[in-house]
Amino acid sequence: MIKIKDLKASVDTDNGQVEILKGITLDIPEGEVHAIMGPNGSGKSTLSYVLAGQEDYTVTNGSATLDGEDLLDLDPEERAAAGLFLAFQYPVEIPGVNMSTFLKTSINSIRKQRGEKELDALGMLKLIKTKCAELGIDGDMMKRAVNVGFSGGEKKRNEVLQMAMLEPKFCVLDETDSGLDIDALKVVAEGVNALRDPKRSFLIITHYQRLLDYITPDVVHVLANGRIIKTGGPELAHELEEKGYAEFVEEAA
Amino acid sequence: MPLKAIDPDNLPTPKVEEWKFTNLPRAIPANLTRSDDETEQIIHIKRGEIRDNPVEINFTGVDNAYHVDQVNITLEEGAQATVIERHDGSGSYWKNRVTEIQIGKNAHLTHIRIQNDSTDAVNTNLVHMKLEQDSTYDSFNLNVGGKLTRHESHAEIAGRGAEATFNGVNLLNGSQHGDTTILIEHQAPNCQSNQFYRSLLDDKSRCVFQGKVHVHQEAQKTDGYQLSNALLLSPDAEMDTKPELEIYADDVKCSHGATTGQLDEEPLFYLRQRGLSKAQARLLLVQAFVYEAVDKIQSDDIRDEVLTMSNKWLQDALKA
Repeated sequence: MIKIKDLKASVDTDNGQVEILKGITLDIPEGEVHAIMGPNGSGKSTLSYVLAGQEDYTVTNGSATLDGEDLLDLDPEERAAAGLFLAFQYPVEIPGVNMSTFLKTSINSIRKQRGEKELDALGMLKLIKTKCAELGIDGDMMKRAVNVGFSGGEKKRNEVLQMAMLEPKFCVLDETDSGLDIDALKVVAEGVNALRDPKRSFLIITHYQRLLDYITPDVVHVLANGRIIKTGGPELAHELEEKGYAEFVEEAA
Repeated sequence: MPLKAIDPDNLPTPKVEEWKFTNLPRAIPANLTRSDDETEQIIHIKRGEIRDNPVEINFTGVDNAYHVDQVNITLEEGAQATVIERHDGSGSYWKNRVTEIQIGKNAHLTHIRIQNDSTDAVNTNLVHMKLEQDSTYDSFNLNVGGKLTRHESHAEIAGRGAEATFNGVNLLNGSQHGDTTILIEHQAPNCQSNQFYRSLLDDKSRCVFQGKVHVHQEAQKTDGYQLSNALLLSPDAEMDTKPELEIYADDVKCSHGATTGQLDEEPLFYLRQRGLSKAQARLLLVQAFVYEAVDKIQSDDIRDEVLTMSNKWLQDALKA
């Protein structure tokens, strides 16, 4: 269960501190999928970075807890071990580090932090093979450097693969649909849907309603100017798409 | 034209353009005794001979000694060989070596240099090579030791279709000074030269990379590539880069680039989001940075040896 309470965060700019999140309150019960939609600059990506612990942002108020544990007190790696997974809008390319080394290090770091036994080479190989097969990922990808030369679709599938392996309790998907054509979008959405679980919550951040045709949310929130201005069911996404953000935001204000 | 060893009575100073970043007279230890084991090592690979096992030259510096020596490597037409130079030693000394290399038609030389001299040592090394038609020179230089080191290579690419490669890694800390200077003379058409250096600098170390590619008028279709990337692990480290291209032919492809910076925050955050501690993430990223250069070594055994050495250095450097 995720509880975000009156969360405010700002970023340092040349013009001083600028507040981006202006008090966000949000509960995501176990097993639910919530979507956050909003225009550019509304603070969507900032919310995902703040939850994951990116150091460019300063939290000035509020709390964010995962099963009662305050995430904001933890280092990014501790948040990951606590069960938070962020699927990046732009997965980072890491030349010189191949996928299998990366996955091995990641999985074992998390297992170690969770007090679980580290996987040996064979166990790791098996896990990687199984998960790749489930997601239709070619095993050759494991020999390539992390995200280097990957197509947009491959990058996002790679994020889903990592999500599947790290078994998080709370997944934040930051504009996972950006840079994807419709076929790639379907593949990624199927991967996410396969991970839906009564014990796992999702926060899906998106600009367009399109992704939500494939991953049906339980609740939709509209974010504008650092605040949630409306909350509703899946139909809210369609309403937004029809009216457009400008009219919608005006109406709500 | 063969090169001469540096004259101890007439040391180059930073007033000489080529030495502007490296102050040799200041670094030479005082009162050295000229070593009496001066040698001239000759490696001669006959026409068509393919040497499977690397020829190893080990050079151990002795405290208070001035070592001067000469290495001559000749590969006749169609010959193939690998030469590995290993440098170590203890105490304060100066090694002053000149290596003269002739690579005949269609001959292939791999030249590996692992420099792990004493931290009080000065190592100056001049390599001159001449490449004939369709020959290749493939070199890798791991620069770890020494107080002041200068590895200077002059290549004359004299025969059509020849290729010269200069790759390397500098791992410097403390107040080490490591200078890599490369001059490539493209004198014939359809030739290729590659330079790829990665440098990791910690503490107050200083690294120099100056590489010049000189494409003569007759050297059409030259393909010249030069890249130096340096990563500073400390705010007091210094990188001096001077890449140069001098081109007189009108149909060539030459590129050069140089970067100096610190570890990017983005990949660090990405790795930490995936559960790696900050220390683990940093180590993985610097290992990858170095690995991309080391990976260019063709021989598995030598690549493993260099990787083991560099990984040990990286683990020690990032412990703090």
